[in-house]
This record gives sequence, C-alpha cells and structure tokens, in this order.
Amino acid sequence: MDGNEVTTCINIQGLSKVFTRDRLAIRALEGFDLEVLDGEFVCLLGPSGCGKTTVLRIIAGLELKSGGVVQVHGREICDAGSDRGMVFQEFALFPWRTVKSNIEFGLEIKSLAPERRGEISKRLIELVGLQGFESAHPNELSGGMKQRVGIARALANDPEVLLMDEPFGSLDAQTRNMMQKELLRIWSATGKTILFVTHSVDEAVFLADRIVVMTARPGRVREVIGVDVPRPRERTSREFIAVRGKVLSELDEEFEKARAKELARK
Amino acid sequence: MSQFTQALWKFVRLNWPRIALGCSSVVLFVTAWWLYSAWLHAEWPFSGRTSGAAEYVPYPRQVLEALIDSFAGRDPVSHLYMTSHIYASLKRISVGFALAFVLAVPAGLLMGRSRNAGAFGKPIVELFRPIPPLAWVPIFLIALKFFWGPIAIVFLGIFFPILLNTIFGAKSVDPVLVDAARTLGARRRDLFLKVVLPFTTPYIMTGIKLGLGVGWMCIVAAEMLGAVGGGVGYYIYSMAYTVGLYDRMYAGMIVIGILSVLTTGIAGLVEQRLYKWMGMK
Repeated sequence: MDGNEVTTCINIQGLSKVFTRDRLAIRALEGFDLEVLDGEFVCLLGPSGCGKTTVLRIIAGLELKSGGVVQVHGREICDAGSDRGMVFQEFALFPWRTVKSNIEFGLEIKSLAPERRGEISKRLIELVGLQGFESAHPNELSGGMKQRVGIARALANDPEVLLMDEPFGSLDAQTRNMMQKELLRIWSATGKTILFVTHSVDEAVFLADRIVVMTARPGRVREVIGVDVPRPRERTSREFIAVRGKVLSELDEEFEKARAKELARK
Repeated sequence: MSQFTQALWKFVRLNWPRIALGCSSVVLFVTAWWLYSAWLHAEWPFSGRTSGAAEYVPYPRQVLEALIDSFAGRDPVSHLYMTSHIYASLKRISVGFALAFVLAVPAGLLMGRSRNAGAFGKPIVELFRPIPPLAWVPIFLIALKFFWGPIAIVFLGIFFPILLNTIFGAKSVDPVLVDAARTLGARRRDLFLKVVLPFTTPYIMTGIKLGLGVGWMCIVAAEMLGAVGGGVGYYIYSMAYTVGLYDRMYAGMIVIGILSVLTTGIAGLVEQRLYKWMGMK
C-alpha cells in the first residue's frame, strides 16, 4: 500500500430520509451520495430546507436515516458517539458549566483523570484563544467566544470528523469573518476532517476545499465544485469571485426550482 | 458582623422607596384592623354605637400582647411554650418536605423525560392533585395516628408543587443541549445527571418554594384534631375551639405567616447560592 494514500473519512451512498409530519410523508433526502477524504474541508450548501442539516445530523447519529449507507472510516453509523464531534449554530453550551468544564464534558464522560482532562482543556483553550476565560460561564461570553468554546469542546474528544452546522450563522458579519479565519487556523493546526453546513456562498468559497451544492427537496447532490484558490483567500480576488459566481448561479437555479414547487403546492 | 450591617445599610439606602412602600401597606392594614375592631367594640372613635361581635376581632394591641405571652408562658390547653409549638410544626414541615423532595424530584424527572412514564403517571397525578389535603385529614389521623398523620397531610401539600414543577422543568430541557451531550458521548445516565438534572434545578427550586408555602397552609388542617408534641396549627385550633382565646388564635396565625416567610426565604437563599455556584447569575 502506498503510504501517502488518502483514506476516505465519510462515505455516504444512496442516503434517503423521509419525515412524517401530519401524516404526510416528506422526502427530505433521496439518493444523496458523498465522499469526504481524511483532512478535507467540505462545505454543504443548498437552498433552505434542502436537508443539509439533516445530512449532518444523520452522520452525527442524532437522526436515523431511512435508507442508504453512511459510514465513517468504514463503520456504519447507528448512534451518536464521541468519534464524531459536532458544533451547533446555537452554540449549545451548558450554561451551568464554566468554559473549562464545558470543554471537559466529553472527557468527564470518558472518566479521564482530572489532571489529564486539565492538560487537554488547557491545550485547547490555547488553541482557540480563550486564555484567561477558563472559569467564565457562557453568559459572560460574546457569540464568537461562545463558538470558540463549542469548537474546543468538540475537539476535546479528538473526533475523526468535525461536523459544523452553520456554526457562525448567528454571529455578526465582522465576527463571522474573523471566526472563519480562526477556523482555518485551527483546521490546519489539528488536521481534522471538517464537514461544514452553511447557506452563505461567500463563507463556503472562503473555507472549503470542495463545495457540495445540494438540490431543493428532496435533497441530492447537484454538483461538487472544487475550490482551487490558494489560501489565505482574498474575497476580492478574481479567482475567488469566479468560483463564487459559479456556485451562486448553481444555487440560484435550485432556489428558483424550490420556489416554483412551493408556488405549485399553493 | 460589621460587614453584615454595612451590607444591610447599603441595601436600605438603595431600596428605601420600596421598603417604605412595603411598610406602609402593613401600617395601612393594621390601622384598618384597629378601626374595625374599635367599631365592633363601640369604642373611640365609634363610642356612640352599641357593640357587636367584638370578641372575635380583638385589637391589634391585644394580639401583640397575646403573641408575647405565648412565648413568655405556657398556653392553657397543652401547657406548652410557643417555641415548643414552633419546633413541633417545623419538624413536621421538615420531615414532610424531605419525603416530598426525595419522591417528587426523581418521579418528576422520570415523568418529564420519558413519555411512557409520563403517560403512566399522569392520570394518577391529575386525579389526586385537586383533592385538598384537608380531605385526607380524618382518615390519615385515624389510620396513621398523631405522629405520622399530620406529617402525611403536610407531605401531600408539598409533594405536588415540587412534582409538577420538576415535570415541567424536565420537559423544557433545551433539546440542542441533549444533542450536544450525545455527540460528546453521553449515554442515558450521563444525560440525566449532567444535562437534565442541572437544567431542571431552577424549576425544582421554584417547586420547593411553592411547596413550602402550601405546606404551611396545610399545617392547621394537619394538626387540627391533635398532634404529638403540639404544633402551631394545633395551638390555633385549640385556642379558638377549646378555650375561645381569639387574641391567642390570631397570634398563632401570625406565627404561621412569619414561619412561612422564613422557610421560603431560606429556600430563596439556597436558590441564590445554587445559581451563583452554577454560574447562572
């Protein structure tokens, strides 16, 4: 075997998901295929309601799939587990825990010795730049800082993949841009595989190695667009704008389709 | 100590308008009471009229004197000091509270988190909750006698507020916190102890404060027909029915009011400490 061979981290084939709401079956996903390689940064992009969050939640094990194959490093997903970290748009920090003890939550569950937990959380607090806030509670932190805790907490378990569900969606534009840079720094420092859900084209082009554009419901992969712009990326550069334009036009078409469907239903 | 007086002084300085308002309502009430009893007694400023059912409404001053007397000397029925009555009632409230807490919190967490447990328990809870503890007085005192009978009645009063608030709290747990905990490797047990329980704590504290109040409301009913070692409720009942000393009866009522305020206040302090420790204000 070749030592430099890149292995598959996430392997999804023919994934489908059907919700039942008011006795009506809603097909959220149908025939969704995706392969994410180890160490890759992939963004899932699509019109709202296309099921991108559902894909993430199924990989996380928070929701059950209706059909298809979902594997992480060859293992079929059946439940939530600490091998897949997740970062939430709502931060989802435990308000009664300090920054340090939020980050150590997963380690506590693994019954790691307090000294070992301390070492790991100290390293992560430095990584995400929260020195001095170890004993602060979430209600004392700004949105950006809260999400730093969220990222550190997910990384504490040393997961095989980091699933991020619109993690910067509730931040203001400035903080958002800064957090995107921070995330890229953390990504290159840890080498984690990241699957990132967003509805911001700009964010996806800034962050991703590859952008997966999804169709309107039922969600499938419409197109995978590689972003061959070297990092650090400049939002005003010609290459950036070219990729951005390509993604936007794909997305616009899906958006129109979704709208047409909605109107047809009424 | 000087630190305490300093803190108290600061509190008074910052809050004096509200403190003054609170005091004025008490002054207003006592004045109205005094006027009403003067009217019934046909004394100044109502000296002209013939007196009515004056003995049922003694003057505020008489009640205050009876209150002091009840602490200074033994009462004419059970020959106990008021402190003994207070001790007996406090013991009943404490034991009733401890039992209610130990049973209501786990039951509430379970019913709030598990649909099956909720469906199983709800009919019983809804059926028994509206039955006033007073309705249980005869059978409890006959069947459980004068030690456990009063405790059981107080227990019923405290149990339901804690149970219902715990159920409500457990149901309100933010689902995204549960999701986060699960992706961090939490199993059912961890979820219960590390997410549901801390989230529900403020709701449980509200239940405790409400429950203690209801517990004191039940104390007269609980001790009505007699109780081992007296009790403030028994004192009130016996002063009115056995010897007709209504000023002492009112004094006993005031004692219950003050005790309820004190116990709820202690629960409030515990609550504040808990929130501070949990980092929630």
